[in-house]
Amino acid sequence: MPFIRIALATALLAAGAAQAAGEPEFALTIRDHRFTPGEVRVPANVKVRLVIDNQDATPEEFDSHALNREKVIPGRSKASVFIGPLAPGRYPFMGEFNASTAQGAVVAQ
Amino acid sequence: MRPARRTRTRRLLAILAASNAVVLAPHAHADPDDYVAVPAVEYGEREVELRLGTASATDEGRESAASLAFGYGVTPWWATEIYGKWHRSGATSFDAIEWENRFQLTEPGRYFADFGLLVEIEWPRDRAEGYELRLGPLMQKDFGPVQANLNVLIERHYRASEPEVTELGYQWQLKYRFAPALDFGAQGFGEVGAWNDWAPLHEQEHIAGPAIFGKFALGGRQVLKYDAAVLFKLSSAAPATTLRAQLEYEF
Repeated sequence: MPFIRIALATALLAAGAAQAAGEPEFALTIRDHRFTPGEVRVPANVKVRLVIDNQDATPEEFDSHALNREKVIPGRSKASVFIGPLAPGRYPFMGEFNASTAQGAVVAQ
Repeated sequence: MRPARRTRTRRLLAILAASNAVVLAPHAHADPDDYVAVPAVEYGEREVELRLGTASATDEGRESAASLAFGYGVTPWWATEIYGKWHRSGATSFDAIEWENRFQLTEPGRYFADFGLLVEIEWPRDRAEGYELRLGPLMQKDFGPVQANLNVLIERHYRASEPEVTELGYQWQLKYRFAPALDFGAQGFGEVGAWNDWAPLHEQEHIAGPAIFGKFALGGRQVLKYDAAVLFKLSSAAPATTLRAQLEYEF
């Protein structure tokens, strides 16, 4: 039953990987379809966790081509987005569902 | 039960249920419109997807395929999609219905690589082909601006008229993030034969070549994504050239 073996091995791998690492956290809030702060400063060359609190009633998608992340955050809920380690630089992101207002950037330094 | 624990339990049960469903059902040959699946799931996203592919003539003549699908991100870790598949090798005919399930097993970027699981069940129109199961891990890792994917998939037909063999295949891609509307890289697909008794190299099929990718935001939740590749034979059993393309409308 190779199918079962692979499924179980993959599930176990994921379960084992589920031991949390202690990445530095940075908070980001979505309110009135805008990100606050508009710029998040993070250390370069370190993996970090963005904790995004969507205070709007509607869902938003954190989207960044530069960071290679897309994550839908339901209304009135929080989600984590893991990024990095990043080379020093500016990495724009947006809220794809409200791109005219929801704009921001991660600055790694 | 705590919510986080309940969610993990539900995820494992869903994966095991899908795996069992497939195992209970009964050959691997990549369709020219096959694509490289990724481990990430976009929760709540609906999509209509069109896939096209054509492979130059081999001993069996030119082979072309097209698929039309509807997909939905049911949970933050499970996306499901139903395909109608058409095939042309001489005449065009409806080929199969396929049910694809992708499970996101790790949060993107959290660990050294991202992992997912693909479970596909296909019901070919030709009952002599039986039922087809394709299953395997999806892996992704970023190297700076380059995204690398590798999927190792096993495939088996059940209740088919031919002897049932579990075959091993793979998909890979490299994608350089140049601009949202135009990323570029390479893709490859291959099959080695039975998973535990690989065919001689001249009987294996391996193809690879350049690929482009892109995304256009249409406003609100609407997004148009594409990827296309020209794939060349790397082994004598493979078609000389395969053209494949995928277009997704997300809403």
